[in-house]
Amino acid sequence: MDAVVLESVTKRFNSVTAVSGLDLRVREGALFGLLGPNGAGKTTSLRMMMRVLIPDEGSVRIFDQPLSDRNQDLIGYLPEERGLYPRMQVRRVLIFLGALKGLSEAEAERRALQWLERLELGKWADKRINDLSKGMQQKVQFIAAVLHRPPLLILDEPFTGLDPLNAALIKDIMLELREQGATIILSTHRMEQVEMMCDSICLIHQGRKVLDGDLQAIKRSYGKNTLRIQYSGDDDFLNLPELIESANHFGAIVDVRLRPGADPQEILKAAVARGVRITRFELIEPPLNDIFIEKVSGPNA
Amino acid sequence: MRKIWLVVKREYLTRVRTKGFIFGTFAVPLIMLAMVIVPALLLARQASRTMKLAVIDGTGNLYSALAQGLDRKLPNGQPAYRIVRRVDSPSPPDQQKLREELRAQVNREELDGILFIPTKILEGEAAVLHTRNPGDFGTSNSIQRALDDAATAQRLKARGVEVEDVRALVGGVKLTLVKVTEEGEVVERGQTIILAIALMFFLYMTIFVYGLATMQSVQEEKNTRVVEILVSSLRPTHLLWGKLLGVGAVGFTQLGVWLTAGALLGTYGAVVAGMFRPGASFPRFPIPIHIMGFLAVFFVIGYFLYASLYAAIGAMVSSTEESQQVSAPINILLGFSPALLGVIIRNPNSPLAVALSMIPFFSPVHMVLRITLQTPPLWQILLSILIILTTTSGLVYLSARIYRVGILMYGKRPSLVELSRWLRYM
Repeated sequence: MDAVVLESVTKRFNSVTAVSGLDLRVREGALFGLLGPNGAGKTTSLRMMMRVLIPDEGSVRIFDQPLSDRNQDLIGYLPEERGLYPRMQVRRVLIFLGALKGLSEAEAERRALQWLERLELGKWADKRINDLSKGMQQKVQFIAAVLHRPPLLILDEPFTGLDPLNAALIKDIMLELREQGATIILSTHRMEQVEMMCDSICLIHQGRKVLDGDLQAIKRSYGKNTLRIQYSGDDDFLNLPELIESANHFGAIVDVRLRPGADPQEILKAAVARGVRITRFELIEPPLNDIFIEKVSGPNA
Repeated sequence: MRKIWLVVKREYLTRVRTKGFIFGTFAVPLIMLAMVIVPALLLARQASRTMKLAVIDGTGNLYSALAQGLDRKLPNGQPAYRIVRRVDSPSPPDQQKLREELRAQVNREELDGILFIPTKILEGEAAVLHTRNPGDFGTSNSIQRALDDAATAQRLKARGVEVEDVRALVGGVKLTLVKVTEEGEVVERGQTIILAIALMFFLYMTIFVYGLATMQSVQEEKNTRVVEILVSSLRPTHLLWGKLLGVGAVGFTQLGVWLTAGALLGTYGAVVAGMFRPGASFPRFPIPIHIMGFLAVFFVIGYFLYASLYAAIGAMVSSTEESQQVSAPINILLGFSPALLGVIIRNPNSPLAVALSMIPFFSPVHMVLRITLQTPPLWQILLSILIILTTTSGLVYLSARIYRVGILMYGKRPSLVELSRWLRYM
């Protein structure tokens, strides 16, 4: 069964078409990456999944049912713009938000305290939201999204503002929830996270889908057309326009996109001829980052 | 329904827990109580002691009339004045010595005052009161009055007229005001107008304060972006209803506490004042139960009318400063009601007063004013309720549509054209 199905969904605001004829399928149990540049229509699409917005055309189904008040409770949402009632106690905020998602207040409180303990916020339960640091507030917000154990979790940029330790903590919890059967939709700009965590993705641009499917399959479809070279010395050897389509520099490492049919051996030769020291020379599938840039800055952009 | 209830509960509990609410709710009854107790205490302090007087009567024949004029009792039953020394027509050398001696007694606080009555007082010479506290106007006034009466009696007597005869001849007559209502007649001493103004003021205040509170509540959720989570949990319209009901319930609670305190003091004020000073009085102004009932009804519908407007503004704008600007016309609209108070008081049943109390934006306050002053025909009351209800349901509907869209929009304030588009969104 699919957790979310969008069928030719269109949403317009005045003259602006935010989402246009979008078809989307999120398999149950998937960790799904919803990608796209700023203003691509990601938030509008997510809001339509939660029935915050109603599509002008097309249909949205959650766990094979049309949206209703009842299946709104099946979703947990971490919005990109974080915010909680600043003058309320942490405990009370979580009880309120948990109860709004259908838990009894006693149950919401019990779970909230467990989660706070687990995210090292046990001592802060009776403090006001205002007294917490930004990172702590983010963790409280994450708890609010998962408190009612939703089978569908929608996380919009869950790692922004978290230090590496806390980001790892949240990542582990996400993977654990997925183990337990939850479907997670991750909306983000951070391609390396998607690359490491997601099993399928959808890339939207200007309200339209430009790419979707299984992440490994997508990468495989591009083939091993990228060279990752680690070197020291001058980068003149990359000046081979007949072999190299583009190069993406990271300092000591460069990712080189080969032209179809180009022989990597030629590039190695050029490097050796110029006395460049090569410490790594590997043929890889293109990083998601490059696919993203190519799709978004391509001719249809 | 359960979710609306959760929103109501959160709004209510977080608000009634604030120091501002607790202070505001209980300060008003305390101020009312102080209005009863403080005057009683002040009076009690002023006149709780018998004044010890020495009277030096240069005429030698005013004393008995003066003593009669000063023969009054304190609330505790003690005489207000006791004349401990009396000297009639002393010779000038004696008078000088006497003056020294009595002044020393005043300084030793054995005496509170010395009253010198000059020989020629009837011809206009001033009497002199020596006292440690010349600022005690209560005492000096009553001595002045007693002296006046004594002098008048003496002059009349000199012409062969008895003072009682004159009193009987020049005594004024009285006019008592009686308020006629369907329930019966009540002696009026200005309490109806005071009550009407007080009730109107409390009603206006609570509608205004809690209307604004609704706007701030919408703003807070929008600015902190909590609203994003909320609308993923319940419908925006339900959220709005929960908010209106929750904030309104807080206002209702406060108004209820104030009115109960007012009604209790209006009925038992004299008893309370009497506890602090036996015999102290306080005007009785019981608030009739039907007025309380109508006040509750008009608060509820008036609050919803204005709160729905304020909520829509809260959803339209993106900052607190902006919301203050945009809500100014609503504040003014609401402020017209107390400003037009005079029109209603002068003649509560004039065509203008009737018309004003049928305009939905004024009628909550003006109807309560009219009902308190001079109960209008029932059909007028019901008609005004019907007009407000119709307007309110229309406004709540429109404001819910604006709210739904507005809470997720940030940045520039919508123009009227954009606003009309918001109303049509699915």
